[in-house]
Amino acid sequence: MTIAVPPSGGGGLPGRSSGSGLADVIDTILDKGLVIDAYVRVSLVGIEILTIDVRVVVASVDTYLRFAEAVNRLDIASQQKGLPDLLSEAPRSIARGKSKGITQGVLEAAGEKLQDLMASRGEEPAPHARRRRREED
Amino acid sequence: MSRSIREPGASDHAETRPDVACYVYGILPEDVEISEDAIGIGDPPAKVGIIRHGEIAALVSDVAVDRPLGRAHDLVAHEQLLDAAAAEVPVLPLRFGAVMTTPEAVVEELLGPHHDSFAAALKQIEGRAQFVLKARYAEQPVLIEVLSENAEARQLRDRIRQLPEEVTRSERMRLGELITHIIAAKREADTQAVVERFEPVTAGAVVREPSHERDAAHVAFLVENDRRNDFERAVEELRAEWDARVEVRLLGPMAPYDFVVS
Repeated sequence: MTIAVPPSGGGGLPGRSSGSGLADVIDTILDKGLVIDAYVRVSLVGIEILTIDVRVVVASVDTYLRFAEAVNRLDIASQQKGLPDLLSEAPRSIARGKSKGITQGVLEAAGEKLQDLMASRGEEPAPHARRRRREED
Repeated sequence: MSRSIREPGASDHAETRPDVACYVYGILPEDVEISEDAIGIGDPPAKVGIIRHGEIAALVSDVAVDRPLGRAHDLVAHEQLLDAAAAEVPVLPLRFGAVMTTPEAVVEELLGPHHDSFAAALKQIEGRAQFVLKARYAEQPVLIEVLSENAEARQLRDRIRQLPEEVTRSERMRLGELITHIIAAKREADTQAVVERFEPVTAGAVVREPSHERDAAHVAFLVENDRRNDFERAVEELRAEWDARVEVRLLGPMAPYDFVVS
């Protein structure tokens, strides 16, 4: 079977039907997935992983003041009904930071983890063939 | 079973080019072929190849070692390639940034030593895909909810309203802290409710850290392909139930990033 890969313009953020944005991608691939042990993984001079820390510090001064401000706006909005909703998402802070977890950690025993998961749910996987075996020739 | 096959095109010259290394996206079954136009990280995007070993294979591309890795395009390319593959075949996704010296190193240090556990994991995820449910409280409704439920929050709001802004910093801090904690409690309850609600139609769930202070739930689900319609119907029901209170987004299907690490 051949894996179909959607064409990409090679720049910017290609549209995703699921509505996923860069922040969603970062949430998923920077700290999830298998990790190669640091001693196996190459550490080449010149390769530098830029990490983008979009994680909101949930209990921060900024967050507190933002909530308080939002409550103030709420008051104004409730007094002046009919005003358009001018509230918009506060931009997520994007900062370069040192990556952790990419250069450390071990290759997780994926099989064990999944087996534990399946066992705990007491369900047998129901294979759904989506590829055919290659012809042995 | 220990034979290794290297596809031409992916990394022909890696050994002789010290400025090129081998970027690894994920692990797949051996009997998979990659389309000619599959592209990976880099600018211009690298051609994607496959390195086979026994029953498993690694999805790889050349990566230049003399430039930084991790621009937006690289991140998106990594996930797009894996998610496109996961739509067709079982895939064990690697975390972004796995680089090894040569295709030989991928076999000797990654595929070889972990062959059996990778093969077992691939069998386990056969026929399943990951979805991520991201639910976020709408700002005004949740604040109104908090104020109506909490007397201290109402008192703080009144005091802040009556006094000049310069003298209410501590009240505003306290109000924000209170709201943060109340929303965190709501999040915990709503997340638990979501996990329980979807249990009948999912094969696994992993609660993610909130990615926003108004997150109501951030959960990765493993879903059997056969149950996908049921799962998506359950998401629609939740969306209808929460209505204006919570915005619900569903990402996926994607590779099972949240189910391959402990």
